[in-house]
Amino acid sequence: MDQLPNLGRENEMLKEMGLSSIDDLFSDIPEEVRRTEVLPLPEPQSEEEILADAQRLLGVNIDLDSRPSFLSTGLARNFVPTMVGMLATRGEFLTAYTPYQPEVSQGMLQAMWEFQTMISELVALPVSNVSMYDASTSAAEAITCAVRVKGRKAEQKGVVYVSQFVPPHRFSVIENYTQGGGIELRILEHGEDGQIDLEAAHVAAGACAVYVEQPNAFGQLDEGITQLKEIIGEHTALIVGVDAVSLGIVEAPGNYGADIVVGEGQPFGIGPTAGGPIYGLFACNMEYLRQMPGRIVGKTLDEDGRDAFTLTLSTREQHIRRHRATSNICSNETLIALMGAMHMALLGPEGLERLALRVAASTEAAKKAISSIENVELVSPSMPNFREFSVKLPGLASDALLFMDDRGVLGGFDIGEWWNSKSSHLLIGCDERTSKSDIDALVDALSSWIEEVVS
Amino acid sequence: MSDIYEFNGAAGSGWSQPPPMFEGAEKTIPISLRRSKLPEWPRASEPELVRHYTWLSQRNFGIDTGFYPLGSCTMKHNPRVNERIVNLPGIDRIHPLQPEHQIQGLLAIFFEMQEMLEICAGMDQVTLQPVAGAQGEFAAIRCIQEYHRDIGEGHRDKVIVPDSAHGTNPASAAMCGYEVIEIPSGSDGRLDLDALGAAVGDDTAAMMVTNPNTLGIFEPEIAQAAEIVHAAGGQMYYDGANFNAILGKTDPGRMGFDAVHYNLHKTFSQPHGGGGPGSGPIGVKSHLAAYLPAPVADREETEGGGIVGNGFRYFWRTPEKSIGKVQQWHGNAGAVIRSWAFYRRYGRELEKMSEHAVLNANYLRHRIMQGAEGVHAMPLDGAPADVVKHEFTLSMTPLKDAVGVSGKDVAKRLLDYGYMSPTLYFPMIVPECLMIEPTETESKEVLDKFAKDFLTILAEDPEIVTTAPHDTKVRRVDEVLAARSLVLRHPLTD
Repeated sequence: MDQLPNLGRENEMLKEMGLSSIDDLFSDIPEEVRRTEVLPLPEPQSEEEILADAQRLLGVNIDLDSRPSFLSTGLARNFVPTMVGMLATRGEFLTAYTPYQPEVSQGMLQAMWEFQTMISELVALPVSNVSMYDASTSAAEAITCAVRVKGRKAEQKGVVYVSQFVPPHRFSVIENYTQGGGIELRILEHGEDGQIDLEAAHVAAGACAVYVEQPNAFGQLDEGITQLKEIIGEHTALIVGVDAVSLGIVEAPGNYGADIVVGEGQPFGIGPTAGGPIYGLFACNMEYLRQMPGRIVGKTLDEDGRDAFTLTLSTREQHIRRHRATSNICSNETLIALMGAMHMALLGPEGLERLALRVAASTEAAKKAISSIENVELVSPSMPNFREFSVKLPGLASDALLFMDDRGVLGGFDIGEWWNSKSSHLLIGCDERTSKSDIDALVDALSSWIEEVVS
Repeated sequence: MSDIYEFNGAAGSGWSQPPPMFEGAEKTIPISLRRSKLPEWPRASEPELVRHYTWLSQRNFGIDTGFYPLGSCTMKHNPRVNERIVNLPGIDRIHPLQPEHQIQGLLAIFFEMQEMLEICAGMDQVTLQPVAGAQGEFAAIRCIQEYHRDIGEGHRDKVIVPDSAHGTNPASAAMCGYEVIEIPSGSDGRLDLDALGAAVGDDTAAMMVTNPNTLGIFEPEIAQAAEIVHAAGGQMYYDGANFNAILGKTDPGRMGFDAVHYNLHKTFSQPHGGGGPGSGPIGVKSHLAAYLPAPVADREETEGGGIVGNGFRYFWRTPEKSIGKVQQWHGNAGAVIRSWAFYRRYGRELEKMSEHAVLNANYLRHRIMQGAEGVHAMPLDGAPADVVKHEFTLSMTPLKDAVGVSGKDVAKRLLDYGYMSPTLYFPMIVPECLMIEPTETESKEVLDKFAKDFLTILAEDPEIVTTAPHDTKVRRVDEVLAARSLVLRHPLTD
């Protein structure tokens, strides 16, 4: 109750208003809907007791850093520089609302404008917003945005092709966000070798948009994606979902014809944090600017001619356009994007490249080590990987994970949870913190399981 | 101005990292896919960046800086222990898809939060997945949509909102594919049951309402409104933006609502962070529970006490007819845990929070209106009411008519006095509107001083007020220029 400065002074304030009790303040609530019984909740606690409970409860969780961990599925077990948390939680940032009053919000506005610049550079497209909720809502709203822009002239009205290898949780978000807009989702097939079937991709020419991921759900990088824009043509939007860190060594989609680039921002700025708050990246060509979702910061001048920043193009947004808005998004993930901006600025271009090389190296090292285990088969061996790769096991991946868990190794993700037909496929995720001894532990644990299964 | 691209002092990276596991890792990427040119990111050292971001922070206004009476946004104090808790490895270093036995503590907190929110809103099942109020609206309207399709009522294609509703309500309904029917409020700013009666029909899917409404007024006929909508076969949706006003005093379940979203970043003190993160859990009555986004936290009795030690094993459960996912994981877990720590401070006495929020709003309204008596151009109450709830609206029309000072001018002048501006020009049904929400965490002294300063501004030389702000880091910002001449990123060549 230490949050209430006027506790004990209620009567003084009520008296001044000519009221006699707190109940008078709620006299407008009709009796038939009034709650009279006490909330069946625990006793109030002090800060000290709450912290102790939090430590006890969260203390039984097994954190990723406490053991060799290969669970990623697009969420990075990253290292965030210490400066990031310390500065982002300064009260002026932490406790501000959306910068509706630019005269007293220049700090966050400028930081977000710098964020837009860094994302624009990262993906090689001119415009970025200040974040979506996550990679999945970015992808979903990129699709609805592209349909608004390309829909009128498209030969295949309302049709959007989505890669077969988009993870199902993201596909589910996309379905929810598109089902109300008269959008028909069709699957863009991949070939036997795992690559997008470029011959089959010709069916997408004339559709409103194509959504693909680089790398895909299995961490595979697809060389054919760079030719996709040529195949689908200028009247069909190419939307590419990326692993943001990979862009330190992998070509930026803006340089091979992507119209919109989306992705998970989390590797920059914040730990996996049980899945949120994280933030979605959204960047696009000028053609899509006025149909974009989310907040955008622009640079302008103040009355005295000084440089100043402000939210701009608000006429796209729900508080102005209401049911005709480009999106319902209001609260976004600005603070996490700020943390991302700090992290990116600390890395710098060469730091980004080094980070990407670290992830690439550990992925390759683990891939080599795991695929050399007898009876373990690399899936799509001809494709390069970044951060993740999948292997086919001589048994259920869920069994392998349980076995490894008993030996203190978090061995990856059971792809059978996404696709029933792939219940023997294990998705192994690496990151900049993966060590040789982590890989050794994974090899040992998986080999022991295989010995048991095969014998 | 501190320009992040002007720090070119540091050689290479501003932050050291270990080397890759082996040299030449770029060779794992086929040449055709290799990046040709690195992005132009800043090249700065840690000391330069610490100073840059500290400088930026000093050009930003938060609750920590001063009074933040931004109506509808519930800018209350954010207890700092909550930040400490979310930095514990048991949340920060957790992957949402870890095996359940590794995250029993997280699941236990999720379950407790679901139960608490169910109790507070009179709902049967809560999911914590939506990560913002707008996403909560979207998810709940999707559940209603699937429910209707399931029971053969899929033809219902209209959602009704009052004209005083938050913009997210019509936007969320439209995203689900509904036609939005806006009904006018009565002359007293309240729901007009006749207008509602004329709008409902067998094509009504739902009505979205916030109560108290955006004028800060409790809708006394809400139960009758629910009856009208239900009689037509529609569902009642409660926008929880104003939940801070009524917690423990009434609840949406009693009012007749079928679904509700909560704004944990308003009522439960998740910091707003300059625009987010938020968290927008939804709660529903039992008939909608099967459609909720997956998964929800659940538990069963277990022998031996369980890992948490309370006799339960916790697990994720997918509702049987789930709409699937709206966020890719389980929601903003960090926000959920902060809100858990916040609610634990009040526990069964949460209603004290609402009492003080309402006490402060009425007190401030009284101080302003009483002090304005006799002052020229006394503001008008946005809506007539003996008492308001957590916020109130003032129309500055008399001031504008008398001396040409607009609501926006007053808002900008308040910045000079060290306050954040109230919400401006919303709801749209109140002309020259200022919407003021003090929250429960402001002292009487702050409210007294704000009222005094506010009244001072009304009597100030109009020239000073219309040219405000004068004492901020920048003067009035040219928003028209920003939209006309778009500069959306650093040009780098400067």
